[in-house]
Amino acid sequence: MTLTRRTFLGTTGVAAAAAVLGEGRLRAARADRSINFAGWVFKPDTVKDYVDYFNKKHGGQVKYDAVPWATYHPTMETRAMAGEIVDVMYCNSANRERWVDNGLIRALDDLPGMDELKKKMAPGNLEAAKNRDGSKIVGLPYFTSLFILIYNEPMLQQAGITAPAKTWDELVEHCTKLKRNKISDTPYLPNWNNSGSGTMPQLLSDCHSEGATVFDAKNRLIVDQEPGAARALERWQKVYKDGLVNPEVLTKTSSTDTHRLFWTGRYAYHTNHSYYLRTIAGEPENSKLAPKKAKMAMYPGNGQTHMFTEWYTINAKTTALADAWKFATFLGGNLNGDWYVQRQWCLIAGLDNAYPEMYDNPEIVQSYDRWIDLKLLREQYKKGRPNNAFKEPWFSEWDSKAIAIVHNIIRGTSTVPRGLKELTALYKSLV
Amino acid sequence: MKLREGTLAWLFVGPPLLCIGLVVFFPLVYSLWLSFTDVNLLRTTGPAIEVGGMRVPLYRWIGLRNYAQALADPIYWDSLWRTLYFVAAFVAEATVVGLGMALVLNERFAGRPLLRSLLLVPWSLSRIVVGLLWIGILDFEFGALNGVLLRIGLVEGAIAFFKEGWSALNVLVSVYMWNQAPFATLLFLAGMQSISEDLYAAAEVDGAGYWRRLWYVTLPALRPIVFLVLVLATVNGFLMLDLIYVLTMGGPGYDTTTVSWHGFKTSFTFFKFGPGTAVLYTLTALCLLLTVVYHKLVLARFEPEG
Repeated sequence: MTLTRRTFLGTTGVAAAAAVLGEGRLRAARADRSINFAGWVFKPDTVKDYVDYFNKKHGGQVKYDAVPWATYHPTMETRAMAGEIVDVMYCNSANRERWVDNGLIRALDDLPGMDELKKKMAPGNLEAAKNRDGSKIVGLPYFTSLFILIYNEPMLQQAGITAPAKTWDELVEHCTKLKRNKISDTPYLPNWNNSGSGTMPQLLSDCHSEGATVFDAKNRLIVDQEPGAARALERWQKVYKDGLVNPEVLTKTSSTDTHRLFWTGRYAYHTNHSYYLRTIAGEPENSKLAPKKAKMAMYPGNGQTHMFTEWYTINAKTTALADAWKFATFLGGNLNGDWYVQRQWCLIAGLDNAYPEMYDNPEIVQSYDRWIDLKLLREQYKKGRPNNAFKEPWFSEWDSKAIAIVHNIIRGTSTVPRGLKELTALYKSLV
Repeated sequence: MKLREGTLAWLFVGPPLLCIGLVVFFPLVYSLWLSFTDVNLLRTTGPAIEVGGMRVPLYRWIGLRNYAQALADPIYWDSLWRTLYFVAAFVAEATVVGLGMALVLNERFAGRPLLRSLLLVPWSLSRIVVGLLWIGILDFEFGALNGVLLRIGLVEGAIAFFKEGWSALNVLVSVYMWNQAPFATLLFLAGMQSISEDLYAAAEVDGAGYWRRLWYVTLPALRPIVFLVLVLATVNGFLMLDLIYVLTMGGPGYDTTTVSWHGFKTSFTFFKFGPGTAVLYTLTALCLLLTVVYHKLVLARFEPEG
């Protein structure tokens, strides 16, 4: 075939038009190297969607790998041991410091734009983003959450209760009345499940609300010296003994399973992570308390509650730092200029974020309005207390083993003073 | 070119042996090694070897310290007694129920082929699915069993099967038996099919009824199968983990924590792979010990046909 000036111009013109009209129009310059990204399994299709979006819009070459939650952290460590470099990784708070101490992940302070993100982050989350000695930022926030009090409004109304409990005594009184009047067999549903997101965060929340400090400023366990902690545990024993709580909550294996019990509409009060109210009050296809028959109230007592954050981290051995950081800021910062990823999590799963300015977004406000009082939730965040003890190397094991001790206190197989001593003895054996 | 017979044999046997070595023996020996070392996945504390381009750290040898640490932990001993109960109850239930079902399915009746096929369904299910299925049946709030009992008025309030450790542990035994007994049935059935009809005919001539035929013909002939079922059930009982993960996560308290769950938690939750593998190797030792005991008890007087 002879190439004439006319055919050359025609061919290149068609090719250019195709590039502009097709996805190429969106595509920025391709990243030099591919990025490996791994996270535990939570809505992997959503994650895949935003990874695809990043690859198209920001010219990335990100490969996503979802690992089951139960073995996520050991899997990542095993892969690191075998020499594999996963550039960007999810990391939960209980394991993050171990990854810092062993050099698996790097500090982020020297990376461009970090100072700007620090200014935008809520103080509690910023504090949690730092390593143990507070000298370095070691993660960008994936999501943040705190414990809230949820109540079943129709059930309270049926019992003639006009407002949700403001104190723990009032909550117990309401539950006793509901049981006595046979409106509910087990009116109270605390998150006492057997996983890391259940019993112990619930204990921290209730201790905080009683004004008790579980760990001191140096992250030492002082729960046995706090009358507020004893009060919380005595109350737990009482509500269990009085049959106000479904006893099987102790063997539920996740907070997700626990919150589903509240869907039935047979409970009056529930304490759990804030995002679970989204399905309880916002999914009529699943929950009898949707739309918005279940509501949030300020946490009883002094209103303080446990707050935590999960993280995106960057591998210390990454050979594509610029691309890894760019992707990390897409996930945990605001690379897109519209809080793209954080907004997705808010809209799809009710997962909150560490950047308060995101809550001015009309789409977010409208979405939250379908399942929660956003203003009240933001007020609750002002009383959220992060737990810095998660940065200690002993914390993960203590946190896990403490569940059995607390369950024994709840069931009355151990007394409150003895249980508190056991918690302290466990701490001392690990420090 | 003619290959010597021995060389040819090695050519055929070599690749599978290599695969078995890599997939079975290497992990076995490596994990045993780990139980004597100071393991931190993120930090090498000893030399390393290369296997297929992958770096395998050997870690620092610390002798029996992991075993001493495991055995000094009261949680280990509590878990061990609980495990022994779990295994004893499970082995007894799986063997008796498996044998009972095999005896029924060995008889001729209409629908036997269908029943034999259906028998395998519980065994073929993934144990995660088995756990979820039984949550659907036994759950306090959503459980089908509580629904039926309440509807027909047999109970006034829903039964909390997982409320107390003792009942939760026995629920685990029963659910695992439901899952595993069909396999025992299959083995017993295979054993029964191989018993010569002549023996039954001779016993009948001697006036033996059903129970005497069972006692004097069937059971003695099934001894090797009983041995196999006992060994397999014991090993499976000791190693059972997934049902605990789905149904109780070792709770309430430590009331359904077995040694395998304790070892799993030690390794994968606390990242103590040395003590974790040490805990799990004590189970291996127990399994081997019980295999010897079964051999002595069940097979000692068994003479295979010449």
